Amino acid sequence: MTQMKLPATTISRNFIDNPNYEKEHSETNDSPNTSTFTLTDDIPNHRDSLINQDSEFEIEDFMYSDDDFEYDDDYNQTYDSMLTKPVKRSSKKELSEGAVPNLSYEILTTQDIFENMLARVDHLQPIFNMPREDILLLMQHYDWNEERLLENWTERMEELLVEIGVSQADVRPTDINVVKDTDEINTSETKIERGITYKEGFNCVICCEEKDTQTFSLECGHEYCIDCYRHYIEDKLHSGNVITCMDCTLALKNIDIDSIMGHNSSKKLMTSSIKSFVQKHNKNYRWCPYADCKCIIHLSDTSSLAEYTRLHYSPFVQCDTDHRFCFNCGFETHAPADCNVTNAWVKKAKKESDNLNWVMSHTKECPKCEVNIEKDGGCNHMKCSSCKYEFCWICEGDWAPHGKAFYQCTLYKNDENSKKTQNDELSKTMKKYTFYYRVFNEHEISAKLDWKLGQTIGSKVRALQEKMDVSWIEGQFLTDSIKILNEGRTALKWSFPVAFYSDASHNLTKIFVDNQSLLSKAVEDLSELLQIKEPEEIMKKRLEFYNKSGYVENRMYALMECGRDLLCKGICKPTDQIFK
Amino acid sequence: MSRAKRIMKEMQAIQDDPEAHITLEFVSESDIHHLKGSFLGPPGTPYEHGTFVVDIEVPMEYPFKPPKMKFDTKVYHPNISSVTGAICLDILKNAWSPVITLKSALISLQALLQSPEPSDPQDAEVAQHYLKDRESFNKTAALWTQLYAGGNNDGNNDGINANNADEADLYGISQELVQEFESQGFQKDRIIEVLRRLGIKSLDPNDNDSINRVIEELLN
Repeated sequence: MTQMKLPATTISRNFIDNPNYEKEHSETNDSPNTSTFTLTDDIPNHRDSLINQDSEFEIEDFMYSDDDFEYDDDYNQTYDSMLTKPVKRSSKKELSEGAVPNLSYEILTTQDIFENMLARVDHLQPIFNMPREDILLLMQHYDWNEERLLENWTERMEELLVEIGVSQADVRPTDINVVKDTDEINTSETKIERGITYKEGFNCVICCEEKDTQTFSLECGHEYCIDCYRHYIEDKLHSGNVITCMDCTLALKNIDIDSIMGHNSSKKLMTSSIKSFVQKHNKNYRWCPYADCKCIIHLSDTSSLAEYTRLHYSPFVQCDTDHRFCFNCGFETHAPADCNVTNAWVKKAKKESDNLNWVMSHTKECPKCEVNIEKDGGCNHMKCSSCKYEFCWICEGDWAPHGKAFYQCTLYKNDENSKKTQNDELSKTMKKYTFYYRVFNEHEISAKLDWKLGQTIGSKVRALQEKMDVSWIEGQFLTDSIKILNEGRTALKWSFPVAFYSDASHNLTKIFVDNQSLLSKAVEDLSELLQIKEPEEIMKKRLEFYNKSGYVENRMYALMECGRDLLCKGICKPTDQIFK
Repeated sequence: MSRAKRIMKEMQAIQDDPEAHITLEFVSESDIHHLKGSFLGPPGTPYEHGTFVVDIEVPMEYPFKPPKMKFDTKVYHPNISSVTGAICLDILKNAWSPVITLKSALISLQALLQSPEPSDPQDAEVAQHYLKDRESFNKTAALWTQLYAGGNNDGNNDGINANNADEADLYGISQELVQEFESQGFQKDRIIEVLRRLGIKSLDPNDNDSINRVIEELLN
């Protein structure tokens, strides 16, 4: 089998991130003879212009590793590496050195993948010696699996052309090139011309209307009015499959689709085709699970994933829009919990939500004066605006004991007053679960509020720049702090499922819970610090920001390691048995 | 509006070709999108002499979306649900093309009766019967045709109708087998239900494993 090396194309930035992209794109396509997917020669130039626009970002955001750009001899590897672009990221932060191999992956969009497919079509062109449009059809039909296509091609080329609808069954192989080439249609008497014509009094068998209209037909001569064809194609664009003539297997090419539907319509078809390609290769490709995010993570070497699972690590990846998620289960970053704990927890929450009212409201009554209080920041240290009582949002107790030493709120206390009868066991586990679910939920809500807080950071940094004459770089400690706060909060949140499934009597669990308390305290402190609005105050406490976020980071890794220890030693076992 | 025009034209085409023995009529004058079609069972099959009625619902997007078809007549066929009459046929789903007409779809159903696709079944129980014991399947299918599709030779009724037909016969289950279990004190309805579920039509008296499995199910 021929092995091909692709030139290392240098597009790397997510196209959708570039606000000018769409505009530029449509402008290109509005010019009469150019359409992005008609494979004209302007594509390379087009690419260059994009690269120039984005080059600033690339240098900052990505690590280049051209050395990594090698091809493996292995069948699957080759196939995947055909798509490889020199944009790679490694998730390394949450891993202790040398424990598991670094995960290297790339961030793509459907557009990126399609560009790669186009490049592959270009390379196939000399082998097939037929118009690129036709090769594209072949590739699309073969789910972009080049290897399989080439294999079948050498074996039964003519059959294939008919099967895929590139040529008609009765056309002799020698005629193929003449018939297919749409750019210079051979208008010999025997051949029916492909394309749009205008007919007076045309009777369309689909809509049964007789009218003066434009019609479309392929070489097969199955001619229908343009309205029916439009309706027909519109439905099929989202399927991702090759669209054929309504009455036979002859295929419509992208150029036909564009001429019937207007410019760029074939792009929709190509996008849905690529989407189904991604769906079919879900071992190597994963969509970013965040709403409206169009990033696709491509992991070419999945061999290390098993090692991750064995050591109870999770393969966290980060997309171009900074969404972090687990490549394995598609959830948000869930350390210290592993995928099993996460799944068990989420399933349980779904199941139990019918029994209990899990949805925690955003307001609580002040324990003293019963005024309703809405929580508008991430911090759990509440101060009633009415009676000035300071309390903890989670336990609704006085804040004073929380401020020092341990943050007792993360501890689940067995209710010692309850009767220790058999019947109580169930309500106890239920209660335990309710408690853990509540804290989990509270932290989730806090995380959302923290995230909102993060949105205001930009203006805070600007305020620092304007009022305090601080440089942008110097102001970044705020941005970093909020990032660490978010990470810490997420880790804290996911530590509760781990605690829930752990054997409470074990020493290590106690250590884990202590670690939880420490992180909880650290996170609350940092969150409180970030509530400060006055630029002067912020600059004064700059060192505190550094210290506190550094502390959160350390506590977070300690908690993650401890949680992993629990999992590795089998002290934390996610089962449904706990809760019959 | 093209949809109404097309349906009317399709009706006309069917009336112009009485040789095909296909009928198509509106269920009510006020609704041209709900029709009933019928065709004859293909000769040389257990469905011969039967008239099969199909309920047709024409969607808004017709002819760009396929019509919804299901059998009103009960049919014993691997690709047709013996309970609901739902049809498993590709041209009524993703292989639909606007050039297909209601007439050609009905002809396709006729062809489906001629050549079942047991590998892609709608009714797994029936498909299993078809694959395991073709002769018994044909008998049952013919009985159903006779009972439900009015498929009597020269209109002679030989005494069987849907009311007095034995349930065991209806599902192609051997009478001896049912009697065997009845003699052990089980209810007939229950026996037939279990045998249907397990896909057992007849049993070798020495096949103790299967007999035990049936008894286990009966006792459950």
